[in-house]
Amino acid sequence: MKYFIFTFLLSLCAFQAFAQNDSINVLEEVLLSSKKLEQFSTGQSLTTFTDSTFIKNDPLLTSFLNYNTPVYFKENGLGMVSSPSFRGTTAQQTAVVWNGININSQFNGQTDFNTLSIAGYDEVSVKPGGGSVLYGTGAIGGTIHLNNNLDFDPKYQHQVHFSYGSFHTYDARYGWKLSKNNWSVAIDLSRNQSENDYEYPDDKGKNRNGQFYQQAINTNIGYQINKNNTLKFYSQFIDGERHFSLIRKSDTKTKYQDINNRNLLEWERSFGKFLSVTRAAYLEERYKYFGNLSTQNYSFAEAKTYIWKYDLQYKPTSNSLINGIASYQNTQGKGSSLGNNKREVTSFSLLGKHQLSPKLTYDVAFRKEISHSYESPLLYSLGVIYDIASFYDLKLNFSKNFRMPTFNDLYWEGSGNTSLKAEQSHQVEVGNIFKFKNATINITGFYNDINDMIRWLPSNNSVWVPDNVDAVKTYGGELLADYSYTWNQQKLAFASTFSYTISKNINTSKFLIYVPKTKTTFSAIYEWHRWFLDYQFLYTGEVFTRTDNNSKYNLDAYTVSNLGAGFQLDKNNNNVIGIRTKNIFNKAYQSVENRYMPGFNLNFYITLNF
Amino acid sequence: MLAFMSTLFFTACSNDDDFVAETPDSETPGTENPDPEEPRGDYDNGILVLNEGGTGSVTYISEDLASVDQEIFQTVNRGDDLGAYVQSIFFDEEKAYIISNGSNLITVVNRYTFELLGKVDAGLSVPRYGVAMNGKLYVTNQADFATTADDYVAVINQETLLVENSVIIGDAVESIEEENGILYIQNATYGAGNKISVFNPTSSIVEATFTTNDALNSIEIENGSLFALSGNKLQKFNLTTQALESEIDLNYTQDGGSISAGNLEIEDENIYFTASNKVYTMALNATTAPVNALITYQTSSEYGVMYGFEVEDDRIFIGDGGDFASNSFVEIYDLNGTLLKNVEVGLAPNGFYFND
Repeated sequence: MKYFIFTFLLSLCAFQAFAQNDSINVLEEVLLSSKKLEQFSTGQSLTTFTDSTFIKNDPLLTSFLNYNTPVYFKENGLGMVSSPSFRGTTAQQTAVVWNGININSQFNGQTDFNTLSIAGYDEVSVKPGGGSVLYGTGAIGGTIHLNNNLDFDPKYQHQVHFSYGSFHTYDARYGWKLSKNNWSVAIDLSRNQSENDYEYPDDKGKNRNGQFYQQAINTNIGYQINKNNTLKFYSQFIDGERHFSLIRKSDTKTKYQDINNRNLLEWERSFGKFLSVTRAAYLEERYKYFGNLSTQNYSFAEAKTYIWKYDLQYKPTSNSLINGIASYQNTQGKGSSLGNNKREVTSFSLLGKHQLSPKLTYDVAFRKEISHSYESPLLYSLGVIYDIASFYDLKLNFSKNFRMPTFNDLYWEGSGNTSLKAEQSHQVEVGNIFKFKNATINITGFYNDINDMIRWLPSNNSVWVPDNVDAVKTYGGELLADYSYTWNQQKLAFASTFSYTISKNINTSKFLIYVPKTKTTFSAIYEWHRWFLDYQFLYTGEVFTRTDNNSKYNLDAYTVSNLGAGFQLDKNNNNVIGIRTKNIFNKAYQSVENRYMPGFNLNFYITLNF
Repeated sequence: MLAFMSTLFFTACSNDDDFVAETPDSETPGTENPDPEEPRGDYDNGILVLNEGGTGSVTYISEDLASVDQEIFQTVNRGDDLGAYVQSIFFDEEKAYIISNGSNLITVVNRYTFELLGKVDAGLSVPRYGVAMNGKLYVTNQADFATTADDYVAVINQETLLVENSVIIGDAVESIEEENGILYIQNATYGAGNKISVFNPTSSIVEATFTTNDALNSIEIENGSLFALSGNKLQKFNLTTQALESEIDLNYTQDGGSISAGNLEIEDENIYFTASNKVYTMALNATTAPVNALITYQTSSEYGVMYGFEVEDDRIFIGDGGDFASNSFVEIYDLNGTLLKNVEVGLAPNGFYFND
């Protein structure tokens, strides 16, 4: 049984393990035994980052993922609205999952990655490819997982992190962990803010009206009732305000406030060959959009979501696993353009995992959702890992995923279309993982066919109505590689990602806009005694900005390099002071038309653990 | 976020209103050009197509339809642009005022050379249309989309290009016409509204209002009458008394559903209007609606059908909005409905203006 878990966990994770203390921007492997994520990602790749890397990075999730994964981000300027594109899909086709709960907005179905900070989580995992069977709507291009791990090893620690940098940017984080007897408590507070008044290149002026702040408190409590019963409570409260930066001096000034409150209570119980997890969650999302700062007027929406989930796992033999999950979700939404609306979704899933032989494991899963608001297809996935040689694993995965219409799609005043169908996607991926003494290489190819894509199109009264109109095909490959070597008191480590993506609208045979064909990231770390130097490189290829692919309006490809240096004050406690310089060659680049990113900038940081 | 984006989309999808360009020629006193044969710039003797764009642009088509120049403002003024979502242009002699509703900006250029002369970049809030009169520019501003109580007319000094006064109109504002020193402001926008305000610029007061049929979308002033077109009625009012003199019902259908009429134009004693992708015409004094379309143009646009429309110089001009995310086209027809030329232009052509 232990051999079984150990083998499939090793083969699932794409990267080699590094010691906890010394990774900076390097990817780490975390071994956990009971998270659904690792268990049922057979045939797919999973990349996990832990909090020791977070400390040395800027807080916003966009920048962290942009430099370390193949996911492409377009941002309307630093800190502004940020949308991911995972394997050439849209922002709504990437699901963000918090401790197992899908947290994409109920209103527009996506998550703005600049509203999420990496502070307050123990690990962030990235899984390209479909995940609807496990995580429901929107898990078409990939899923991003934000997890807190509560363990009961005795500990009592504080962590303080503070950084200050260009454009009056502050980032402060405080974390407190206490584990004693049968209790485990972790509290994290964070605030980051910036005036964000950077200069545009070529004397185009300053970034105006771009100031923002975000503060959050994460509280996680675990109580071990006895050897077989554990209670866990996860909670977060995030409050942010962003002014949207202007393109031209005379543009109307606007700002956006959002509050997110998420609470999850979990009861894990193991008995005989069974493991049952009962969960109850309450999520609240609210926003206010101020369309003109010279007035106090705003438009708003709020949604309250209640979720109940019952998850039962059964291990009939030592190398097989059956899992049944039932869940009920009730969302009530209202807003200045939404009216009061309610949506209920009930879902049933059945998953099975079986190790046929020491070298071959597969899993099969089904999910069906029932709701009055839309028709959901039967979702399924099949994954296989084949341990061909000691250094080579072959992975295969085939799945059907979906995205349900959002509240805005269904209920927007005068436009909502309640007869919308869910978007559907069929995808297949093949992964080759090579593991050597100091290096890992992962080469994966994928193909994704998406139908009934929801697009907003106006009818003949200049009023916009959403409809299922588009069909998109995406395919390509990813290459992930890392290498690490330690000698004497020195260490050198490299990590690199490369992705190639083709994403086409089948009806028009044109490439989707804002999907680069190639993207590369590279990072290198050098450690010597208690000093370290780290370098990050990003290359993003050209993108189309016109649906007819008129190349005259393409955004140029760009490269950005960051360089950081630091000193470990006390190697055992991971106390670090450092400096990060970004865009060291002061390149002018935009990821969205007319939205420039900052030139050379830097920040200082200090992290203390005691 | 979608709220924000939707409001931008609503801006993009407004119906273009009629605008008749001033045409200085050698008979008008005070004209700059002493020699009528010499072109007054690269963009004389031709048609200016206004492309609403994400960032706006202007396309020039020569009078004989033989040559086409794209993005003429950017060509002449390197590194500069017209702002986001250009709504309309109005003229005063050789000056052209290009209004950007997305960037609260009016760019002033020489209409023949397109050289930059100045900008109005303060005091505007979603400006839409304007007229020049007696050394001042009167520009309608919609301000906050959530309410019509803050819509105003900005009074701008033509020399300094500074806003001197902002007059709250008390209702929605959209297109603005000038006739005999009085300004007529359409109080209807995005398919809603039924009033026209009579604004006296000397007193800065709305002195009277016309009440029209609901869903007013375009107006024209001709021979002492005001013609108002709503989705299903064409009404004729006495310009001075605001009294309704006559009206014609319009009931056009397509694919089993009714379609609204819009884009009212009056040229050479004929009335023109459109419904969906069709152009209709009737005599100025006709009493019944035309049954058959003069022109039906081919379009695959989902929401930009007949996005721009104009009748001038014995020709009919149609702008197709396309998908608002790539270059689109305009078509030019003669008055018999024969297609003369199809020209590729920029994003979302919404208006035609003439230098001749």
